[in-house]
Amino acid sequence: MISINQLSFQYEGGVKPALVDITLEIPDGDFIGIIGRSGAGKSTLTYALNGIVPHYHKGDFYGSVTVDGMDTVETTPERLAELVGSVLQDTDAQMITSTVIDELQYGLISYGIDDIDGRVDEALAALGIADLREREINSLSGGQRQKVAIASILALKPKIFILDEPTSELDPASSRMVFELLRTLNQTGVTVIVVEQKIMQLCEFCDRLIVLDGGAVAFDGGVREVLTHSEELEAIGVHVPRIVTLAKTIGSDKLPLNLDEAEAMLREVLA
Amino acid sequence: MKGFLEYIPGDSILHRLDPRTKLLMPLILCLACFAADSILLLFVILLFDVALGYLGGIGKQTLRTLSKLARIMLFLFVLQILFIQRGETLIPLIAGLRITDEGLRTAALVALRLIAATMPLATLLSLTKLDELADSLVVRCHVPYKYAYGVTAAIRFIPEFSRQMSEIIEAQTARGVEFDTKNPFRRIAMVIPLCVPLLISSVRKIDGTAMAAELRGFNLRGRHNIRCTSRFGLSDGVGILVCLALAVAGVLL
Amino acid sequence: MITLEKVCFGYGKNETLRDVNLHIGKGDFCAIIGANGAGKSTLTRLMRGLLRPTSGRVLIDGQDIAAARPSTLAAKIGYLFQNPDRQLCRNTVREELLFTLQYAGIPADRRDALCDAALERFSLDGDGDTACMSRGERQRTALASALAAEPPLLLLDEPTTGLDYSECTAIMERIAEMNERGVTVVMVCHDMEIVLDFAKTCVVVADGQVLGEGTPADIFYNQPLLKRASLIPPQLIELASRFGGEVGRPTHAEDFAAIIREKRSQK
Repeated sequence: MISINQLSFQYEGGVKPALVDITLEIPDGDFIGIIGRSGAGKSTLTYALNGIVPHYHKGDFYGSVTVDGMDTVETTPERLAELVGSVLQDTDAQMITSTVIDELQYGLISYGIDDIDGRVDEALAALGIADLREREINSLSGGQRQKVAIASILALKPKIFILDEPTSELDPASSRMVFELLRTLNQTGVTVIVVEQKIMQLCEFCDRLIVLDGGAVAFDGGVREVLTHSEELEAIGVHVPRIVTLAKTIGSDKLPLNLDEAEAMLREVLA
Repeated sequence: MKGFLEYIPGDSILHRLDPRTKLLMPLILCLACFAADSILLLFVILLFDVALGYLGGIGKQTLRTLSKLARIMLFLFVLQILFIQRGETLIPLIAGLRITDEGLRTAALVALRLIAATMPLATLLSLTKLDELADSLVVRCHVPYKYAYGVTAAIRFIPEFSRQMSEIIEAQTARGVEFDTKNPFRRIAMVIPLCVPLLISSVRKIDGTAMAAELRGFNLRGRHNIRCTSRFGLSDGVGILVCLALAVAGVLL
Repeated sequence: MITLEKVCFGYGKNETLRDVNLHIGKGDFCAIIGANGAGKSTLTRLMRGLLRPTSGRVLIDGQDIAAARPSTLAAKIGYLFQNPDRQLCRNTVREELLFTLQYAGIPADRRDALCDAALERFSLDGDGDTACMSRGERQRTALASALAAEPPLLLLDEPTTGLDYSECTAIMERIAEMNERGVTVVMVCHDMEIVLDFAKTCVVVADGQVLGEGTPADIFYNQPLLKRASLIPPQLIELASRFGGEVGRPTHAEDFAAIIREKRSQK
């Protein structure tokens, strides 16, 4: 359970606040999508959950964030990281060792987790990259690195899994695979929070959508409910999926979130 | 410079040496080179350097490094010959300059010494997994993790930066900048402006890495939880002894 | 405009392209699509001469680019990389554009005029500091710079990665505009909706080979082909495909809705 209470944050040297008066409750087991134009505060919001803000990136921090009752200001990021696993946005930068296997083992060793080999194999298999196990990080493509970054956090089995644009360098089939993996994790009770530009994927997989604009929460609610505001969303740089546009154009009162729903809607209309 | 200091996987006897040995051997060889005052001995050390490369299964790369170093040293060699005018004239040159026996000897010594001293480090580091080196320094040599990681990260960033640099050069080539000019000064003048994008992406990279490390328990690591399976074995002893022998020879000859 | 003849790249296990034959005509807007690692970026690099084919030839306007001078190629081809950080190396936007113009061999007296034109076309501030810009602005600057010398061919390597929806639209609309003015565009792209919206033709690449060519609609309705290339079509096309031929072949919400309305009125 995460609760954010009237959180505002401005980076040291920043000209305007990155987050403005954010209040959110995130119960365990939620699958949340965060979307908004660049500079809307999406990454900063994830930093506030894993302690990077205010421990690593300093600045003016107002309000409070608690994760499972721990205040993030009083808890170090490495302690928080036992609960909160974070896949960062910059794929290249988050590689901290030289080989795939070391990358996956790194956190497991730090936290003294038993069965390192089992966890590594499991995580590699989940992302379908068992063949990369012994490879040098330097020899990997952007897409492969992105999968390694996800696997290295997955191996830690965090209770809360935060991913910042985890599929930016993946092709459509791999992106889908990652989201399906997240869904499986979520079904085992893991809270998943994913920042993503691809709204189609968020609509299909998430339960709840948080739309940020200018550092503040513009919309927060069930995916279907948020999507009803398509004009307002467009104004703040968020485009609704095309099946939703189609539904609106043909005057359907349903809002399909995935292809199955869209197909059912059309069959009903055509029947 | 592509691939310089980058780990080359393999299963040679050198790959299996203890990481500490692979750090110690080049250091001893380096001392040996600076102690040595005999061209013959420096040649022997150089031969040993090349042999190390072949033993590690990276003979070709070693020869490539050798030829690159030799080209740089040739420049130094010529400079030294012109600079040292003591001793007997071998060949008179224009404007009162001459090549002397002493000039030739000193120049050869300096050039050989620098090549022979730097090669083993490049060879053995590319046969060492840096993470294993860091772990072994922490567990066996009681170096604090922060410093051990810092040193190995610095080494790791060299190939990373050279990769970024070649990407930047590619991007500049795409807009028509010609880097393959023969004139080294022009080449340097062309590369200098590229340090701006390199600096920006390097700072970003280092910042991101530090953040990612912190989120995976960087500060919790130390002797108590790092695993280190490497141990000194017979081959480590042999390797170090050979290097020591060369160093002793260097002092004596 | 650009022709690849029996192009191969790489040897043995590292062979990334195998016997590629391709022709992209003048004024085309061609998207190269394929899964990660299919060899798409290698293709655009070969077209720019950044890589040399192991065998085969790359021709631009009938001339082998292996023989062309770098500045001639720079004046003919604009190249936009995925990451603007690799491209921008000057302090201000104006300097950046002038740098490109200089290396494209544009005479000094014409550079300022071309630079101003590019600044205006891409709504950029010439004095803007490139290091302080957002990713989207930096990418727009890189695009302006790639097009400053008004080259007849533009190569794009995943130009929209890391951009948000509006930045992405802004960049793509500018590119489409240039295409309408006659610039031939070749683009590697992962986002199939962008391909559908902007490209005129599509080349499908998988395992280093060209599997198929055609209009985006033809390609995206060719399910067996997409399956072989591990691609997923845009959402609406995937939806329409589920109805077989029943709803025709719509590509966008508007024409899809029109078809549905018509069907409904028939009943």
